[in-house]
Amino acid sequence: MVDYYEAVRAYPDGESTVARLARTAAEYGLDGIVVRNAPETGITDENAEDESDGRPGGGRIASEYGVDVVDAIEIDTDDASAANARVTDRREERTLVLVVGSSALNRFACEEPRVDVLARPMADGDVNHVLARAAARNGVRFEFDFGRVLRLSGGQRVQVLSDLRKLREIVFQYDAPYVVSAAPESHLHLRAPRELRAVGETIGFDREDVERGLAEWGRLAARNRERLSESFIEPGVERGRYEEDD
Amino acid sequence: MKHLPKHLRPRWRYLAIGIESWPDADFGSHAFQRACWYAAQNLLGDPGAADVDLRVFDFSFADGDGTAIVRVRRGEVERARAAIACVEAVSGSPVGLWVLGMSGTMRACEERYIGRASGETAERNVAFADSQRPALMRDGRFDVHGKPGFVGATSLDI
Repeated sequence: MVDYYEAVRAYPDGESTVARLARTAAEYGLDGIVVRNAPETGITDENAEDESDGRPGGGRIASEYGVDVVDAIEIDTDDASAANARVTDRREERTLVLVVGSSALNRFACEEPRVDVLARPMADGDVNHVLARAAARNGVRFEFDFGRVLRLSGGQRVQVLSDLRKLREIVFQYDAPYVVSAAPESHLHLRAPRELRAVGETIGFDREDVERGLAEWGRLAARNRERLSESFIEPGVERGRYEEDD
Repeated sequence: MKHLPKHLRPRWRYLAIGIESWPDADFGSHAFQRACWYAAQNLLGDPGAADVDLRVFDFSFADGDGTAIVRVRRGEVERARAAIACVEAVSGSPVGLWVLGMSGTMRACEERYIGRASGETAERNVAFADSQRPALMRDGRFDVHGKPGFVGATSLDI
């Protein structure tokens, strides 16, 4: 059984609160949501209690609706050095670190192993074989943004589709890791995994590609939570009782 | 006109669709039908749209909540799903759509997926984001009047 995740933008940037998105996600059969703007929404990974200002914590929402809530941050700046400073700043406190792609930041993000996801790489920039190789080496996921396929029409959508095709060809050629998202900004933008799979198939992806992309968010979150936990020292080294051989 | 012999009649599948929107959304069956055909034509092109059919039956929608049954040609269900996922707004109101289920007859589709009574809508003032605001409430979901438009929230946020 694969766990499907969706990466959302919640109120105040989006139009629905994290709780509403989580509730709708549960109805649609998603297993978790990644909150791209966690700092603004006040979501942190562990707080099962309400925040001081009455907003519900991520843990509380997760237990109420049975949907995993992952705190993430999207870094959206104009130049690489500012982005680098923010990645250094935030890496320890957020489960997922996303960098919004642009012609200035695509290269930085692909060469920085501390970045988890390069979001919307084609919206304002470009991707080539050099970046794809670097991303594969550093484990940076490219995002296939289905949101603009779902919500645009006409010439703009044609542009988006041709960008997605180019990105897909490059990513699959170099076996670079990727995630898939519809980037919803309200609960009305959410779509069920089956629907996204159908859209993916129509625009040239395989079913399995879309499934893998939706599940990748969850896999990333689980990996990073383990790394951020106190018992983790470095890959392969953990504090605690050693496993017994028998 | 004489009926087609059975083996020549098209085989249909019926998709039950759940529709959600903001409480001020007001559109009817015709607008929804137009939005479906428009989405199918845009995504699949004219031949694709003709193949999937997407005729709307049994549409009901009130206070931002509704259901519809959409007829799809058998074997084209996945493309129909994709087209329905691309319906972003109906008559200018953003909508969330999801496929509740699929049946081989309209009656089975209705019985199995349509007509789950949703709770009553009530209006009341709620404390949200440091201010008192009017909101529409329906089984734990709150649509709070925002500065422009609405903000979607749940009982946890209030």
